[in-house]
Amino acid sequence: MEPEAMTFVAAKVSLLVLFALVLQQAVLADLRVSGVRPDVMLLVAVAAGMAGRSERGAVVGFVAGLLADLFSPTPLGLAALTFSVVGYVVGSIQTGIIRSVWWIPVLTALVASVVAVVLYALVAAMIGRAQYVNLQLLFTAGGVAVVNAALALPAVRALRWGLGSSEVYAR
Amino acid sequence: MAVYRRSARPRFTLVLLVLTALTLLTLDERTGGTGVIGAVRDGARDAFAPVQDAAESVFRPVEDFFQSALHYGDLEAENARLREQLAERRAALLRAEDADRERRALLAQQDLEFAGDIPAVSARVVSASISNFELVMEIDRGTDHGVAAGMPVVTGSGLVGRVTDTSRTRSTVLLITDPTSSVGVRVAESGDVGVAVGRGPRSSLRVDLIEPETKLQKGDVLVTSGLDQSVFPPQIPVGTVVASGAAVGALQQDLTLEPVVDLDRLSFVKVLQWSPRP
Repeated sequence: MEPEAMTFVAAKVSLLVLFALVLQQAVLADLRVSGVRPDVMLLVAVAAGMAGRSERGAVVGFVAGLLADLFSPTPLGLAALTFSVVGYVVGSIQTGIIRSVWWIPVLTALVASVVAVVLYALVAAMIGRAQYVNLQLLFTAGGVAVVNAALALPAVRALRWGLGSSEVYAR
Repeated sequence: MAVYRRSARPRFTLVLLVLTALTLLTLDERTGGTGVIGAVRDGARDAFAPVQDAAESVFRPVEDFFQSALHYGDLEAENARLREQLAERRAALLRAEDADRERRALLAQQDLEFAGDIPAVSARVVSASISNFELVMEIDRGTDHGVAAGMPVVTGSGLVGRVTDTSRTRSTVLLITDPTSSVGVRVAESGDVGVAVGRGPRSSLRVDLIEPETKLQKGDVLVTSGLDQSVFPPQIPVGTVVASGAAVGALQQDLTLEPVVDLDRLSFVKVLQWSPRP
């Protein structure tokens, strides 16, 4: 991609990520879905994987995760690591399938979110925060996944706009 | 050749990102809240505070409208119940004032502080649970207002937790229900001391080190012990006994405590400007 087009894509995606951050930290600061706090930054990472290729998914995941870490009392880099891996994996399995059935993005968001939350807790346990892994983890994963699945379609559309829709067909 | 290069690049990017994230993680663990990472975090939170406040003032009326529309009946009932409670408490307060005067005199004699006299900073709860994994909340006062890490946080009824991290305008409070939180407690009647440990959201606290022989009933109040080097000042109510008892031959009681404060519905708290004696 030419440099000017790259900058334009970066600007659009940055705007989206910033919007998600404001949503997550300010607008939805007190929202709880059956006791679970939604994770819109994860949605951005998963949607980026669906709308772009694996590389775009990894980069956007990293940035979204890093911002999420910055405003969270949890270890810095944990979400950056998890979201970039999840964004990459979603990106590599999604190429080409995305337009076939309308509910594929919803299902992908659901599954990817559960995997991401569990992976997050497992990595945290490996670096000394073993208390993250408990029964509550299942509820957290479920709550986050349901909200992300509900918002999957608009999120993918937004990320497709941000990343440039030609990415969907490129390999 | 070109195909090989193109398919390898995403993987290369991922490896680079993962390594960067691992580096950040290591740095964060090493510096533990101070250093560059701590400064960036604090800066980010301070920079974001005005955005948070603005969004709050825009969306709170909408949120309140929906809440009140959906829960009007509940609110009426709760209002009546609270008025009744208030009347009862007022009566109890009058009875307790005498006893309190005597207690203060005795404590002053022994040169001990108690929560009533400690300077405090009132704060509003910005976000009741920032993370799904750590039981912390964020309040809208920071170092600019005299809040420092380690200070206890209370409400009128009892202990909420303690400040773990501060930036200029925001502070993070670790709740007593977090598994990493432990509070030195004392049984009011017998003077037995123990440690109350958190067990997760909406769970009661587990109290360790209370002797099996100590008689406790459901509803008994445990307060902070305020022993030497304790993180919390003495006499702050922590919780009420839910279940007690000991198996034969056990070294300690099986004691669970329900926090006095409703940690799920906090709006305003007070930070006690208190630090342990050196």
